Amino acid sequence: MAKRLLDFRDATAIAGVGYTPFTRDSGVSTLTLACRAVLAALDDAGLTADDVDGLATHRVGDSAPPTLVGPALGLTDLSWHLDQFGGGSVSHAVVGQAALAVAAGLAETVVCYRAINARSEFRMGGTGRGVPASPEVQYQAPYGYVAPPQQYAMYARAHMLKYGTKAEHFGQLAVTQRANAAKNPRALMRTPITLDDYLASRWIAEPFRLLDCCLETDGACAVVVTTAERARSLHRPPVLISAAAWGGGTSHLSCEDPAVTAAAELAPRLYAQAGLGPGDVDVAEIYDCFTYSVIVQLEDYGFCAKGEGGPYVASGATALDGPLPVNTHGGFLSEGYVHGVNHIAEAVSQLRGDAGDRQVPGAEVALSTAQPGYILPATSALILRRA
Amino acid sequence: MVVYRPEPDRDSREWWERIARHEFAVQCCDACGTTRFPARAFCPACRTEAWHWQEVDPEGRVESWIVNHQPFMPGAREPYVVVMVRLAAVPGCVVYGNWHGRRPPEPGERVRASYSRIDESLSLVNWEPVDG
Ligand SMILES: [Zn+2]
Repeated sequence: MAKRLLDFRDATAIAGVGYTPFTRDSGVSTLTLACRAVLAALDDAGLTADDVDGLATHRVGDSAPPTLVGPALGLTDLSWHLDQFGGGSVSHAVVGQAALAVAAGLAETVVCYRAINARSEFRMGGTGRGVPASPEVQYQAPYGYVAPPQQYAMYARAHMLKYGTKAEHFGQLAVTQRANAAKNPRALMRTPITLDDYLASRWIAEPFRLLDCCLETDGACAVVVTTAERARSLHRPPVLISAAAWGGGTSHLSCEDPAVTAAAELAPRLYAQAGLGPGDVDVAEIYDCFTYSVIVQLEDYGFCAKGEGGPYVASGATALDGPLPVNTHGGFLSEGYVHGVNHIAEAVSQLRGDAGDRQVPGAEVALSTAQPGYILPATSALILRRA
Repeated sequence: MVVYRPEPDRDSREWWERIARHEFAVQCCDACGTTRFPARAFCPACRTEAWHWQEVDPEGRVESWIVNHQPFMPGAREPYVVVMVRLAAVPGCVVYGNWHGRRPPEPGERVRASYSRIDESLSLVNWEPVDG
């Protein structure tokens, strides 16, 4: 179906990013975390809460919605807000929809945030709260198949069987991201690891070991979306939103090939929107709930041939000094888990050139991606560009 | 005794009732004959709503599996195995269950349903190798 694109490409920008510290027990509510991250992002942009006319988040019933955060910050007449149900797969769609609202003139300054007490309050999947009531759960939970590390391990083995992907490939990815985190003062896990450390880490759900799995983190992260024009007049170098796409995906119970993700369907639309291709991407922040998630997305976003994601990572291609630095902040595996928004914020830092010791020299184009559609059957992604 | 008792919905209730009688049925479209699982109102191939249950062989092939070491299911014998089975009777359909073989699964091997009776109104569908 032919799409009629508005003048969307590069019409909006991310003007600021904000974080709370990442911890294992924030000791405060998700509402408090959300407010802190929103205010930090506004401060970074050189704006105040009085400039905000839109708020957006995604959540799975575990966090503070815009209708709480707005009034808590004295904002009683937002002209646009979005309370997107969903997990990491919709994380980038939230920013995409905020950009649409700004491009359409419904709002001028939207703060997108995610606040999460994923360690101390609401742990994902089966442990620490009731089993969620998606209709697919009834066919899985009775067999003790309840948590994301199990589901991803299942898909990872399918990929290993089909393409010969090895534990050492997953391990090299974990090692590389930890090396990046060592250069990131925000990261929770900064002590370097070796491939032997990875192989010696305990089994969670074979083929996954502990070091295949992301952290569970308390924290919040926010980004400020406004018009490209307005962003140019603010504190920070603006980072343009060149493309925002979402879609793709089937479900847990119907798929032709479990070694392919929704990203394979979405990627061509995303690149076409930006007028760019994988070869133009200087740095990629790729949703890494688990090691395998990165390897399969490197294939499905076209950075290597299908099935070659493991050897591509093992070659060093995704290291900071490689041709495609990936998860320069350390990702969920080592920086912290803020459900996708910290990947977007890191891409912004890289494009502004303020990523410190982990800066990729001359980065002009970044890809940032969401959970690739294995848990909820859709994904989303952004292409960002230095103005 | 089952830790997570399935909660049938209005689409799936009869499927579970049939499974309790150890009868493996899927929906079949009245218009185009395409089979589907899990239970849904519309045929995804032709969007027709009319359908009937069709008993099929509860057979498939092993597409993947995991060996659970973390206590994901309270009280489970650990490590326990969950298999992903590509169902022969329904195009593009994978189902999950515990492994009832005496040895580990092998990639692509043929498996058949092994029912576990929980009580009068509930059985679970697990999987065992066709070739022992
Ligand atoms: Zn049909």
